[in-house]
Amino acid sequence: MKHFFYLHWQDARQALRKMLRQPVGSLLNLLMLAVAMSLPVTLFLTAGSLQHWVGKLTASPQITLFMELSAEPADMAAVQSSLSSHPRVASFRFIARDQALRDLEQRSGLSGISEGLEGNPLPDAFIVTPKPDATPEQLDMLQKELSGLPMVEQSQFDAAWARRLHGLLDIAVKLAWFLGASFGIALVLITHNTIRMQILARQEEIEVAKLIGATDSFIRRPFLYHAFWLGLLSALLCWGLSSLFVNQAAPALNEFSRLYGENISLSSLSAIELAALAGGSILLCLFGARLAADHHLRKVRAH
Amino acid sequence: MIQFDQVTKRYPGGHEALRNLSFTIDSGEMVFLAGHSGAGKSTLLKLISGIERATSGSVLVNNQNLSRLRASQLPYVRQHIGIVFQDHKILFDRNVFDNVMLPLNIIGFDRRDAARRVRAALDKVGLAGKEKVMPVRLSGGEQQRLCIARAVVHRPSILLADEPSANLDRAYALDIMELFKSFHQVGVTVLIAAHDETLMEDYGRRIIRLREGQFAS
Repeated sequence: MKHFFYLHWQDARQALRKMLRQPVGSLLNLLMLAVAMSLPVTLFLTAGSLQHWVGKLTASPQITLFMELSAEPADMAAVQSSLSSHPRVASFRFIARDQALRDLEQRSGLSGISEGLEGNPLPDAFIVTPKPDATPEQLDMLQKELSGLPMVEQSQFDAAWARRLHGLLDIAVKLAWFLGASFGIALVLITHNTIRMQILARQEEIEVAKLIGATDSFIRRPFLYHAFWLGLLSALLCWGLSSLFVNQAAPALNEFSRLYGENISLSSLSAIELAALAGGSILLCLFGARLAADHHLRKVRAH
Repeated sequence: MIQFDQVTKRYPGGHEALRNLSFTIDSGEMVFLAGHSGAGKSTLLKLISGIERATSGSVLVNNQNLSRLRASQLPYVRQHIGIVFQDHKILFDRNVFDNVMLPLNIIGFDRRDAARRVRAALDKVGLAGKEKVMPVRLSGGEQQRLCIARAVVHRPSILLADEPSANLDRAYALDIMELFKSFHQVGVTVLIAAHDETLMEDYGRRIIRLREGQFAS
């Protein structure tokens, strides 16, 4: 049994050595596979992390109620009491117009802005957090209901755009999977072709080996190991490429997300994802190689 | 042991290479196979090594009926046979050592033992010291010896040679014959096909003569 593993190890090493003997050709071949793989992978990473962020937004949607400027404290109390008794409202926060102006000054760094204005243009506002189990339809109902309260001028549902973005990103993730599937097929075809060329180049050797007692699995083994290395190395190369992309894109994305006071983290493939990618690409390469080997070894008959 | 029982081989197209042939070669025997080219010598050797299958009749090699064997089992039969091919079938992309190594790789021999065996086989055929030489640089006779070394390196119980002394001058051909005799002396069943009978007669061994796929006597 130990000997069996030794023979496999031998074949694996020889296949790798053969690839290293033609570094440029092998690298080009690997790059072709890695580039094909990194397209769906980077799309998946970007859409995935954006969706994660948007998902957080939609998970805790908020409805903002802006009051009429002429609203009296009595009106506030009325709204307050109907909010606190509403079954779909989990909590709410009142932001008085003076405080809103102070916040604005602080956040924008434009202290003294109020002095240039004739009075405070901002309205009083309630920020309502609905119960988390509410469906999107129920949220829409709630928003309509709340905007009907007395002296409420306008209500804004801040998660509406987030939900639309979430749906859009859903399409992007689906596209990544679709691209992944089609590039998976491409991977099979490319290895099929690579191995086919190799078999044709070593036809004489295969014929002689068959004549002196080589089994099909003995002849197939070096090609399968070549495919194994192709799959593994191209997955690693793809990981490198996508990490490079993440390194380049993450600062820009952070800049963008800071505009919204959010922090979107774009991360590279996790260890499990990398293992899945490598495993998948190895399997696909082996599949392509096996197809090529079975097809062509049948043609190379011992004479 | 090799046993042919009413063996007929018909190639696609209708050419009958062997007709209703029955004979037995005992274990450890050395037998010559004579006849003009086209008499069926090569076909007979190919049937023994399972490269071709009999159209009818049975071929027994080491108590295995090759006609009934599945194609996936044939390699294991061949691993017990050494073949010296008429056209050598040497691989020119690797050196002498690696050429002789091939059968041991196929069997899955331990690498260090294998290297020792390869050297022993090369020594036996008189190619010691040419391990690293590429086959192109070898003379015709040396290529023949390389082919013999490859055929015996895994110590097969049966050794088949198809025209091993063709294109060699007589002195060289005698050398090669002596080599085969030495394998026979250590118990290997040896079957040598040749069209030149003068060499065989010196040895006083059994000669199977073929003419148009049948015994010629």
